[in-house]
Amino acid sequence: MSFTITCPVCGKRDLYEFRFGSEERGARPAEEGLTPEAYWDYVHRRTNASGPQREWWFHRDGCGTWFTVWRDTLTNREVIEPE
Amino acid sequence: MKVKMKSLWGKPPLRTCYDTVIIGGGIHGLATAYFLARDHGMTDTAVIERRYVGYGGTGRNTAIVRANQRSQENLRLYDEGLKLWPKLIAELDFNMMFFNCGNLNLAHGEAAIGAMRLQVSTAQFFGVISELLDAKQCKELVPALDISDRPTYPIFGGMYHPPGGTLRHDAVAWGLAKGAAAKGVRIHQQVEVTGIGVEKGKVVSVETTEGIIRTPRVLIATGGYGTQTAGLLGLRLPIHVLPIQAMVSQPVKPFLNHVVSSGAYHVYCNQSLKGELVTGSHMDPWPTYSTHVTAQYIRHQAEALTEFMPILRGLRFMRIWAGLADMTPDMAPIVDGNHPVEGLYLDCGWGYFGFKSGPVTGKYLAQFMATGECPEILKPFTQRRFDQGRFLGEISTPVYYGPWN
Repeated sequence: MSFTITCPVCGKRDLYEFRFGSEERGARPAEEGLTPEAYWDYVHRRTNASGPQREWWFHRDGCGTWFTVWRDTLTNREVIEPE
Repeated sequence: MKVKMKSLWGKPPLRTCYDTVIIGGGIHGLATAYFLARDHGMTDTAVIERRYVGYGGTGRNTAIVRANQRSQENLRLYDEGLKLWPKLIAELDFNMMFFNCGNLNLAHGEAAIGAMRLQVSTAQFFGVISELLDAKQCKELVPALDISDRPTYPIFGGMYHPPGGTLRHDAVAWGLAKGAAAKGVRIHQQVEVTGIGVEKGKVVSVETTEGIIRTPRVLIATGGYGTQTAGLLGLRLPIHVLPIQAMVSQPVKPFLNHVVSSGAYHVYCNQSLKGELVTGSHMDPWPTYSTHVTAQYIRHQAEALTEFMPILRGLRFMRIWAGLADMTPDMAPIVDGNHPVEGLYLDCGWGYFGFKSGPVTGKYLAQFMATGECPEILKPFTQRRFDQGRFLGEISTPVYYGPWN
C-alpha cells in the first residue's frame, strides 16, 4: 500500500517526500484588536476534520513548493475537492 | 472436558438514564469508572464503547511504563501511576503481567548526555530512581549493544530508570473492566455516541446509536478519537492526531532484559515474555484517523535496531499495526472539567503517554467528577493553559521528538 500526494510542479509523488503543514485555517488574524485568547486559538486549536479537508503540504524532498490539497483523514488518501 | 467461559463484564441492556456516562472503553474510561465506584460510591455509570473494550490506543501501545519525564507536573503523576500498578493488580486480582525490567534510554552525543543529566536530576529531586550510565555500564545491562565506534551514532551512555517496565495492555483493560463491572458499572460495547445534548450550558444527554441517554455528567475518554468526540459539541482542541506504528518480531531466546530506547535512532524496543522483540518508533507526521501501516517503518526499524544491536540482523518481523497518538503542542495531556460546558469532562491529548497514565488519571479524574473540584495533581493539565500561551516543559527534552522537530 502506498500513499501519494500530487505536487503542482512534480505530480504524484510518495507521501514521505512531503512535509505536512497544517489544515487550512484562513489568514492570520489582524494585529489590531487581537486578544491573546484569539491569537492562541488561531495558533493551536484545530478542527481535526474526520473526512476530507483542505490542507497545506511542502514538497521537502522535491521542488520545495508549498501548496494545498484535499485529503480524507479517515482513509489518508488524497481526494478531489468536494462540491 | 468442556469448560464454560464466564464473561468478565457481562452484556447488560442499555438504560435511558445514568448518573455518569463515560465515552470510551479504554483504560482511561474504565479506570475512571472503576475509581468512581470504588472511592466515591458512584456506581450508576455507563461506559459506552463504539467497538470493543481495548480496541483503540489501549490495545495498540507497546505497554511500556516509566516515570522519568522532564517536567515536575508530569513526573508527579507518572511516578504515582507507576507505584499504582502492583496495588491495582493485587486489588483487582488480575494478572497484568507487570515486568519490572527497567528502562534504558541511550544517548548518542554530548548534547543528549547533557539533557539526560538534567532529566536525571529532576527525577532524583522528586525521589524517582534514575541514573546516568556510561557506555560500558550500558553494555553490562544490555550485552547486545554495540558500544564500539562502528554505528553511525555511537553510544555515549544512557539514562537508566529501574522502576519502569512493561505490562500486558489487554490484561489491564480486561482487569479494569471486570473490576468496574463487579462494582455495578455497566459496559456497553458496539454502541456509538452520535451527539451530546446541552441545555443552558449544562450537559443533559448523550445520543447514541441505541437511543438517547439522559445524564448530567459526561467524560470524553476516547483517546485518539477525542477530537472527533469533542467535535460533536463543536469544540476545537489544540491536538494533532498522528498515527504511530509498532511491530513485533518472531520469538527468540531471551536476550534483552530491559526496555531500550534511542532518541537519535527514533526507536524503542523490549523483549516480550513470549520472546518477541516489540518495537516502535516515531509518528508519521500527518494527522489521520486511519491505522494503516507502511513499509517505510519496517525498513526504518530494521535499519535502526541493527545499527546499535547488530545481533538482530536477519530477525524477521511477524506483525505490524498502528494506533493514534493525540499530540498537544507541549506533549502534556488535557484533563479538564466543566469548561466550557458544565458536566462535561475531557481526558485527552495524552499522545503516546496514555497507557502509563491510565489508572492514576482515572483515580484523580473520578475524584474530580465526584466532587466537581479539580485535584491538585491534575490542575496543570487544564485546557486553559493554551489560551494563556503557558506550556508545560515536557517538549524541552531533546530525547523526545515530534512532528515539529
